Amino acid sequence: MKKILIVDDAKVIRMLIKRLLTQHGYQVAGEAGNGREAFEKYKELRPDAVTMDIIMPEVDGIQGLKDILAFDKQAKVIIISAIDQRDSLTDAIRNGATDYVVKPFEDDRMISTLNNIFSEDKKDAVGSKQ
Amino acid sequence: MNITHDGMRVVEIMSRLSIDRASRALSKTLRTGAMISLSSVYIADLSETTEKMNDDLREMTGVMVDFKGNVGCKLLFMLPVNGSFILTDLFLRQPAGTTKEYNEFTESVIQELGNILASHVSNALVSDFDATLIPEPPHVHNDYAGVMFSNLVMEQGMMDDKLLLMETKFEICKNELECYLFLVPETTSFMKLLDNIGVKV
Repeated sequence: MKKILIVDDAKVIRMLIKRLLTQHGYQVAGEAGNGREAFEKYKELRPDAVTMDIIMPEVDGIQGLKDILAFDKQAKVIIISAIDQRDSLTDAIRNGATDYVVKPFEDDRMISTLNNIFSEDKKDAVGSKQ
Repeated sequence: MNITHDGMRVVEIMSRLSIDRASRALSKTLRTGAMISLSSVYIADLSETTEKMNDDLREMTGVMVDFKGNVGCKLLFMLPVNGSFILTDLFLRQPAGTTKEYNEFTESVIQELGNILASHVSNALVSDFDATLIPEPPHVHNDYAGVMFSNLVMEQGMMDDKLLLMETKFEICKNELECYLFLVPETTSFMKLLDNIGVKV
């Protein structure tokens, strides 16, 4: 079962994402309320993927993304933000985000995003064996 | 603060487009028919408006958001505390009437709604009017309307006794939920933005 770290400063968003992920067979490794906590939890829990908000107090999600990827180049971080602007999107992609989901999102969009990144892993594994 | 008739018309269009975007995001968030409409955009007299808000003696919950970018702006979304119970039930997809008191979930729902409204207002202004505008983390407050409004305009009020105010009306599930959504742009930078897009102010 894939383990996910949920990062958002809003408790209710963490709760909704947690409910959705567990309904679809994912395990929630942990939760964090800003970029710094996310980095600490990432090192401790080593999740398979992270869902990361951008606008958060103290340390934002882009810094959290940078810190996690500096620690683990293979980390999968999906940005989930209400900011739907070209600069934010390019900033996230440039800094290594795996995908970008705009809030409010449909449940299917979130689940298919996660399913896709893990199915890409399987394809890569098959490709490397051949 | 002076603004030409044409300038005011553009401000109204900008406000309507950004409020429309926020309205669609709110509907999607609450998974119900939610509509925010622009009641009015006007140059308000600070003391008169504060006095009007001071007359509203209901206990309110609200969320305030500052923006960073080339247009200084503040947003305040507030509603009576019992109205926030309705929003909490809708947001958490639970039966109406489940939330009976203000708690950490209610506070978090108001915080997230502030984030979503502010983000989508800024998305519209950035894509349609070439602004750079990103919301800061929202702050939730519980107080009287007048107190929250005074906090909102304090910085602008120190420089000017007039302010540009956008007032809105909310309709959720075909019931009018009395909410206030104020957008208060910082005058100088907002005038520059209008000038940049060729509007004579």
